[in-house]
Amino acid sequence: MWLESSNHLQYTADRHLKLALWLLLPLYVLGVVALWAAFIHAPTEREMGEVQRILYFHVGAAWTAFFAFFVVFVAGIIYLWRRRLFWDEFAAASAEIGVVFTTIVLATGPIWARPIWNTWWPWGDPRVTTTLVLWLIYVAYFILRSSLPEGEKRARFAAVFGIIGFIDVPIVFLSIRWWRTIHPVLIDRTGAKMEPEMLQALMISVVAFTFLYFALLFLRTAMRLQHYAAEEMTHVVRERSE
Amino acid sequence: MRHLKLIWVLAAKDLRIEYRSRQAFLTTVFFAVLILIVFNFAFDPGSASTRDASPGILWVALLFPGIIQLNRSFQSEMEEGTLQGIVMSPLDRGVFFFGKLLANWLFLLAIDVLILAAFVIFFNFSLEVGLLWVFLLMFLVGGGFTAVGTVFAAMVSNVRIREVLLPILLFPIIVPIILAAVNATREVLIHQDFSTLSRWLQLIVAFDVVFLAAGFLVFDYVVGE
Repeated sequence: MWLESSNHLQYTADRHLKLALWLLLPLYVLGVVALWAAFIHAPTEREMGEVQRILYFHVGAAWTAFFAFFVVFVAGIIYLWRRRLFWDEFAAASAEIGVVFTTIVLATGPIWARPIWNTWWPWGDPRVTTTLVLWLIYVAYFILRSSLPEGEKRARFAAVFGIIGFIDVPIVFLSIRWWRTIHPVLIDRTGAKMEPEMLQALMISVVAFTFLYFALLFLRTAMRLQHYAAEEMTHVVRERSE
Repeated sequence: MRHLKLIWVLAAKDLRIEYRSRQAFLTTVFFAVLILIVFNFAFDPGSASTRDASPGILWVALLFPGIIQLNRSFQSEMEEGTLQGIVMSPLDRGVFFFGKLLANWLFLLAIDVLILAAFVIFFNFSLEVGLLWVFLLMFLVGGGFTAVGTVFAAMVSNVRIREVLLPILLFPIIVPIILAAVNATREVLIHQDFSTLSRWLQLIVAFDVVFLAAGFLVFDYVVGE
């Protein structure tokens, strides 16, 4: 059955809420350590200056976003196979977080690129442009969701779109890389050598962002399931009162 | 063999309907020609920079009208109730997918020939071998475009805002073949340089293969049930 009983939904929601709460303490510690590492522990880059510190957040968010979209892809496949409401809501929760983190990546990129590469938007860089296309794909994912009525069909279509969107990503990356090599190479990332403290800060930040992703994922999944549980409950109550 | 015949029967049905009314054909070609003219007003006609941008303009003129056709391809099926009939018939879903795809692909190629002719005239290109390569590009890009487009068109067919929704879903996905098509066309028509052409063709073929397979696999989930 697509929609489980309200009891079961509530139970699954509670379990995910508990998971999210369990992650809060390590997340808090990691967050503080990551901030300390990024702003105090890591030395200031000699040529780029303070603006280089944005890297720690930029890379952390980028990794999380890509991982989130991978989860959407996998959850979509599981949904089409098992047809359980849970996997659709899980995928949607992950896509939401992915869009938020991609937005962070796209916002922090130009702030760094303007003083360093002397351009807000380096179109020729495959990573930048692939991330932009990725953002477009998953915003479209939510436009698709919002234009369909809640239900099994919406879940099915969202899963299909999530799968097609994800298998497109490597082809997008390849096409933009070839596009760039045909044009003159304006931007090169050589000379971006890292001090050990910088690498440590980067690693801690990536781990912290991953924890943040899972905490948000479980929290959003719980909230989404509770919405259904509450609706089911209303049905039951209404039926009994009649 | 039987499957191929059924695919053709389905595609022929769509093409026959279109041939009798010629409504979509005329509308889409007219729309494409309008795009070509508007771009000539927007840019400085005859200048080198406009000529350099012309491959991009050509592909906008080819793909935007294609969206209109994709939307129509399932809309009439919905309105006439034939979609339900086909889904309920013992027809293989793969056959349904490839039948729709073939009809859309052939339609696209038919309008593409006329749009290319209009392009050659409005942008003052001479008739040369490069145009044959552009036609090959149209054929290959059309395959990937209709493969993804047919799946998405079926998805949005009973959504109220389908006219807006289809391009929103489709364009981010087909970014790689747009890039490949525009760059390959520029190399062939403007630079007369065929050295990078095979690489772009490979990319488009790879896209076609991936999304023909993906479309075939997921189509059942889109129209079934």
